[in-house]
Parts: sequence; C-alpha cells; structure tokens
Amino acid sequence: MTFVRVLLSRIFGKGRTHAELDTEIAAHLSLLAADYERRGLSPAEALAAARRHFGPVAQLHETYRDQRRLPILDSLTQDLTYSLRQLRRNPGFAVAAVLTLALGIGANAAIFQVLDAVVFRSLPVRDPASLVQVQLLENSLPVHVSYPLYRQLAAGQQVFDGLVALSDFPLRQAVLRGRGSFRPVRGSIVTGNYFRVLGVSARAGRVFTEADDRPAAPPVIVLSDAFWNREFGRSPSAIGQVLEINGASGTVIGVTPPEFFGETVGAVPDVWLPISFQPQFMPADWLNAPSHSWLTMMGRLRPGISARQAVSALDPLYGRLEALTAQSPKREYRVQLQSASRGIDVLEQRFGRPLWVLAGITGLVLLIACSNLANLMLGRAAARTQEIGVRLAIGAGRLRIARQLLTEGLVLSIMGAAIALPLAASGARWLVAWASATAGWRLSVALEWRHLAYLASIAVTSTCLFALAPAWAATRIDVQSALQSAHRGLSGGRFRNRLGRCLIVGQLSVSLTLLSAAALLAHSLWNLRHQDFGYETSGVLMADIPLEFTKAMMKQRTALREPLYLRMNAIPGVRSAAISAFGVLDSVVHTCSLSIPERPAQAGDLTRRVHISPRYFETIGTSILAGRGITETDRAGSPGVVVLGQTAARTLFGDANPIGRFVSTARSFEAKDALQVVGVAADVRFSSPRDPFGFVIYVPLTQDPAPVTAVFVRAASGRAHLAPAVRAAFHEVDPTLLVGAIHPLAESVEAQLGNEKLLALLSACFGVLALALTAVGVYGVIAYAVQRRTQEIGIRLALGAERGAVSRMMMWDVAVLAAEGTLLGAAGAIAATRALRTMLFAPANYALLIAAAALLFLIAAAAGYLPARRAARLDPVQTLR
Amino acid sequence: MGNRAEIPYGTLDLMVLKTLDTLGSQHGYGIARRIEQLAQSSMELNQGTIYPALLRLEQRGWIASVWGASENNRKARFYSITRAGRKQLAAETENWSRTVAMMARLLENQA
Repeated sequence: MTFVRVLLSRIFGKGRTHAELDTEIAAHLSLLAADYERRGLSPAEALAAARRHFGPVAQLHETYRDQRRLPILDSLTQDLTYSLRQLRRNPGFAVAAVLTLALGIGANAAIFQVLDAVVFRSLPVRDPASLVQVQLLENSLPVHVSYPLYRQLAAGQQVFDGLVALSDFPLRQAVLRGRGSFRPVRGSIVTGNYFRVLGVSARAGRVFTEADDRPAAPPVIVLSDAFWNREFGRSPSAIGQVLEINGASGTVIGVTPPEFFGETVGAVPDVWLPISFQPQFMPADWLNAPSHSWLTMMGRLRPGISARQAVSALDPLYGRLEALTAQSPKREYRVQLQSASRGIDVLEQRFGRPLWVLAGITGLVLLIACSNLANLMLGRAAARTQEIGVRLAIGAGRLRIARQLLTEGLVLSIMGAAIALPLAASGARWLVAWASATAGWRLSVALEWRHLAYLASIAVTSTCLFALAPAWAATRIDVQSALQSAHRGLSGGRFRNRLGRCLIVGQLSVSLTLLSAAALLAHSLWNLRHQDFGYETSGVLMADIPLEFTKAMMKQRTALREPLYLRMNAIPGVRSAAISAFGVLDSVVHTCSLSIPERPAQAGDLTRRVHISPRYFETIGTSILAGRGITETDRAGSPGVVVLGQTAARTLFGDANPIGRFVSTARSFEAKDALQVVGVAADVRFSSPRDPFGFVIYVPLTQDPAPVTAVFVRAASGRAHLAPAVRAAFHEVDPTLLVGAIHPLAESVEAQLGNEKLLALLSACFGVLALALTAVGVYGVIAYAVQRRTQEIGIRLALGAERGAVSRMMMWDVAVLAAEGTLLGAAGAIAATRALRTMLFAPANYALLIAAAALLFLIAAAAGYLPARRAARLDPVQTLR
Repeated sequence: MGNRAEIPYGTLDLMVLKTLDTLGSQHGYGIARRIEQLAQSSMELNQGTIYPALLRLEQRGWIASVWGASENNRKARFYSITRAGRKQLAAETENWSRTVAMMARLLENQA
C-alpha cells in the first residue's frame, strides 16, 4: 500500500517544486539567522552561520529531486527526447520506418479484427460457454430434424436447460409488404424458448416466450435493432404495429439489443418469428410433418453436465427416433454436440481458412518489415559508433545505451501503431464489405479493447524484433577502438555485418515464401475463372426471383410460367430465354433421390433437381452430349422425361447408352413414376466455381411444377443492356412480382470468386511489398559491406586489380546471399504449398515456384548491383588517404 | 565539533515523527531545532537534511503539510503527523527499543 502511495505521489509529484523548496529554505534560514542574531552575531555573520548550519543547498536540491520523482521516469523522458531528436535529425529514415511499421501492424490488426469477429468472438448472450449445437447424425451424416422429432427430443431430454429449434432458410428471402414498395426481409423461425434459453432480453418492448408459441396465440414478431432503425427510425411507436411478411400478419412486440445478431455468425436476421406461426407464412404446415426435416437445434447444458454426459443421456432417445422415421433401409442415428459459445459458425467454415492464410501472410510481412528495420537500425548504430563510444567512455552503462536504442525503436513502433489504428479499423471494414458484398451476410467489426490490446502487443513485439538485436550489437563495441577508429566509423562491424546478412537471408526466404503463396493463389484463381463451368458466362442475363414460401406465391409462380416464358422470348434483341427453378447460381437447392432398377439410391448421393423450361440449355450454353434437351413437346400430360447430368449418367449407366432408359426419383426404383431419359447434359458448376460435379437431373417445369426462381436471357449478338427491357417485361406480366437483381451471369460467377480474388489480390500486394522491402534490405547490406571494405577495395585497386574484378567480387557476395535466401526460401515455399493445398484449385505447380525463386534472385541481384558497381568506381587515392 | 556523532542511518525519520507527535504542527526549522535541543549537542545535524526526510514521510502518508506563516512572518510549510504516521511511530518505537535492548545485551556480554 505504502509502496503504491509513494509511487503515485512520485509520479504525480504532489505539486512539490524546487521553487517551493526554495521558499521553505528561505524561511528556515531566516529563522535560523534570527536565532544566531539573538545570540549576538551581526546580521551578516548570523546569515553566514545559518548557511553553514543548514548545509549545502545544491546537494539538498539534488537529493530532493531524486526523491521527488522516479529516476527511471526521468531517464525515460531523457531517452524519449533524445530519440525524438535523433529521429528528427534523420526524417527520411523515420518516415520510412514509421510507414513500414504502420502498414505491417495495421494489416495484422485488421485481419485480427475480422478473425476475431468470425472465429473468436463469443455470442453476446448470457453464459455462451454452456451453449451447444445439437446435431443429429443419420448414418454419420449431419441432418436437420423435423418439428415433431424436435418436440419428442425436447420433451424426453433432461440434460439441457431448454432445447431450442430454429431455421432461417424458409424466410431467408421473405417479402415485406404493406409498407410502401415490397422489400425483401430476412426472417428466422425459432421456438418460443429461444430468447429465454439464450438469455437475451428486449431493448424495447418484450421478446416472445413459450406462451407466444402456441397454435392459438396471436402471431408476434421481434425485430432486430438494425431493422428497427431501418424501417422505423428507432421509433417506439413500432411496437404494436402489424407487419405483413410473406402474406401473414404479425404484431411487433419488441426489439433485440443492438449487439445481438442471432445464433448464426453472419446471418443477422431482421425479424424473429415464433415457430407456431409457420403454417401461416409458408405454403405447407411443417409443424405436423415428420418427413420435413428443416430445423437446427441448440441447447444450453445444465450446470455440471458435460457434453459427453449429455450425449450418453440422449442415447435412449434414438430407439424412438428410429420408430418415428420408420424408413427402410434402416438408418442409424447418433447425436453430436458442438460448442455453440461462438454461435453456429457458418462463416468460420467459409472464411476461417482464408483468414488464417491472410493472418499468416500479414504476419510474415511484418516479420520482413521488422527484419528490414533491424538492418536499418544496425546501420544507424554503425554510423553512431563514435557517439556511443564517447557515451560509454564518459560512463554511460551498456544497459543504458541499449535502453536508449530500444526506446528509439519503441518511439517508432508507437508512431507506427498510432497510424496503424485507423488503418486497421478501415481495413477490417473494407475486408468485410468486400467479402460480404454479394454473399448476403453481415458482420459487425466494431473496434473493441481486445483489438487495441492486440495492436499494442504486436507493436511491442515488433519493437523487440527489430530493436533488440541492434541494441545488443551496440553494446558490444569496444570503447577504445570505437574512439580510435572513429574516423572510419566501422569498429564492431564484423559482428554487425554477420547479423545483417543473417537478417537478409531470412528476409529473402520469407519473401520467397510469400511470393510463392501469391503465385499459387493467383494461379488457382486463374484456373477457377478459366475452367469450363458447363455453361457460358458471357452474353447471358440472369434475373433472380426471390423464393417466397407462401401458398399464394406458389400458385402465382406456377401460373406465371407460361406467360413469362413467352414474354421473355418476345423481347426484341433476345435470342432465347428460359426460366428455371433451383438452377445455376440459385441460392436454393432442390434435391431428390435417383435410382434405376440395378442401382437404388445410395447414402452420399446428393441429386440436384433442376426444373426448367424449353430452350434452357441453349440459353445458358450447356451442351447436350447425347439425345435432346427439354422441349415444348414435353407437356403436362405427355410421358415423363428427364435430362441427366453427365456424372449421373456415367455413374448410373457406365458406358451404356442412357437414352431411352428409365430412372426414378424414389430411393429405390419404382416403375409407376419412372422418367424416361431423353438426353445427357454436360456437367455444370452449380453454386460456385469450386463445386464438385454431382448428380443432376433436369425435369420439365410443365411435368414437375415448381415456383420460378430465375429467368435467363441470351442476347442476340451485339445487343447489350437488355436488363431494363427484361425488368419491364416482368412488370408487364405481373406487377406484384418481386424481382431481384438482373445481372450478367459472368458477374454472378465473379461474385462467387470473391474469396479467391481477395486472397489473390492481398497476397499479391503483400508479396510485392515484401519484395520491395527485401530489395531495400539487400541494397542496404551490400552498401554497408562496400563501405566497410572501402579501404580493402582501395588497396586492391591500387595494387592493380581490375575494376571488373572488384565489382565481380562484390556481386559474388550478392549472389551468395541471394542463393542462401532462395534455398532457404524454397523450403518455405514448399511448406506454403502444403499449407495452401486444400484451398488451391490447381495441381502443385513447381514451375511457378521456380519462377518466383528466379524473380526473387534477379531482384536481389539488381538491388545488390548498384552498390557493387559503386565499389568498382571507388577512387583508390581517395579511399586510402 | 570533534566528538559529535553523525545521525545514525534511518533514525532521522523516527526523530521527525516523534517530534511532530510531541509538538504538533511544526515547520522545518522548528523540527530541526527540537531535535538539536534533545540531542544536546551530542549530534551533528545539517538542518537542511531534514527536508528530504520530510518529503519522504509525506510521500508515505505519515505526515501532512500546509502552508502557513512563521514566527517572523515568512511563508513556511507546517508539518503534522497523520494517523498512519502515529501507527508507524508506535511500530518504529517498539522496533527501536528492541534493537537498543538487544545491542545493550550483546555489548554487555562481550565486555
């Protein structure tokens, strides 16, 4: 306690100044002198006696000062002022160092901020650590559960403080009506205990409870804070209003806190609806449909119950599950618990790896920046050998000298960090904006104290990285030789030179690693972009029609099929148009089973079922490999037909001709609703350029009706800008239809490549940065070597060495350095290839690695050439004088 | 001055505390004079040395100070002991007595 008080009073000085001390001393002396006068001394004698008796004032001041302040604080202030003066004397160095650090630290902090939001951050709910996602596994594959099944599980379990079921996909593309123009709204359907189990209360109004989640209860809606702001400007009058979502009306009862974004990272629903409301806004009642599996489950473990205990406690329930589903072939069920403390992480699956790669890349860039700075600092320490020698000679401790240099480093880091802070914040926002531009998720990356702590810690770490070695090197100089050889300024140079060369070799190897990673990622992107997608991306427009799951809409969409098809094909400038449901680049996937008599459907088969109009294949440019596509002759009453995707055809029929054969969409072949294969279409990358080719069947919309979700239009050659005409055509056919974006197919494909583009772009930028830093580093080290060997070179030249030989000698030095770095870097590059392997859409490409190595070698050689040439041009007379 | 001893190390603080405890609020001169009177010229004191001691004690919270006017009407700082200072004084006094007693025993035995 006393220690803390002393420390505080020393730091804050308690207002004690030397002037005050002087006042006290004056008072003291006058009293003491008066005393002496009373004893009979003359005033002058009395004052002299008083002074003697009081003792030396200067010494008192000194003692007082040491005691009044913290000596370490004083010397720190001294170091700081000195550092600032040093940096001001060399502004070029200071600016370069601060900017390099700002870039390095800022990039790292930005990635950390995003990584934190995607990977580390806990849900902003009560005790997130006890939340688990309850995943049902059917034959080891994760499956959703139906509502009746959930009810059974929820009623039968005793390990959770509430089991929640939820789904966001039916209302992902919901439509808000009755408030001006129709707008998309994103809803999440949850059980009534959702908010209670998560421990989230309303910021305005109230959240719904189990009581609101009964079939007879009046329908209620809870809004997100963002939606409340967007739609109602945060007006309290929003509570009690009626919203019409997908044709069903509910009353707004409350708003969630701003930091709450639901349970799925990145999903950010606008509204939450109780599950009992479901039959009103969707075409079918899924509450009483055991065959409809659509829910995700989440639970809060009871205190003292581990995940393992919970899993074994749930075991006896499986028997009932099997009875409930009662399907053949018999399936095996298991439950898996995953921690949901950070929410249900969809984004982590998609962005976790790329983000870690970026974190690695920025980390390496910072490493290079630090090594570069270390070299610069070494050079500066070399130039200051004499000054340091003098300071050592007049009694500065080596530790003190090292601390001075460290302080200089710290000043640079702090200035760098100060610039890095806004850089990081806007970098993180930019990164998220880029990655989410087309992906339909949102993520908040607000600056938190954790991010500041991280930024500070990397600033300090980098200071240690770049300033420690030079500081240490500086204390190794020998005072005498430092002072004697002052005019050469090169004492202690050998150690420094060795250290500098090690740093450069490390820098070269890390640069090569980065360059290879950038090259691999760019190559992978090129491959993704230039692969055969199975359709043509140019010249085709795609119009999204958000899928609204309502009875009325389903009917309307079915009725729209014919008129839309005809009207679109009639637009002037359109070569062909087609409509489809759940086709290429659609956000909703429709699946089914696929079987032939010889091969029933197998676990792991996932068959995409695409409903199409005639002219679909010619419009999007998918080639028909055998037979024909869907045509206008495939009508509602005519025999059922199907076009198979190539992979499905090959897997089911091998080399045999599939045309004319029959397939069934049941698990095991049933002849009564079998479809005849009329064609085989080329394989298509459906949702993203990375999609593996799977089973696909194309069925005519006329025979297998589905709500239209997309319209494709191929322009006649030379006709661009058809989008307005297409939109007008939609309006003409049905003004109440909500039409989404209308854009070229190529654009959608590009949008799917966002991740890859971002990674390739950033890694290329950082690679170039690393290369530039390394080139500067090589230049610096060779220039230093030339300076160090000036005398030697002068002697060589004086003794008749040819200038060519001298520059060859220096270039040999460069080559050795570059070769060492390249060899070491090759190991790093191979490591990078391995680390990236699962992300790369390309075979291992050693030619690329060799090219990167060659590029690095050339750049290093070029950077070293300048000082080497200067060595050859030295004037021996001058260097020897 | 020959036979006068220096102040034993670390005892000045105790002397100042004791003085303030006895006399109440005092300025630096008053404290120094009192210590000299009690020592009856058996101890050499540069009066200035009590100022670092006063600062040290104040930083520890054992004494407090206010500005006031001295007897000859000059601005002077008046020090007084705090409650924490009294506690410290008691502890130090006991400690000191123990040390003295121990030293006495030790020296008697040796003699």
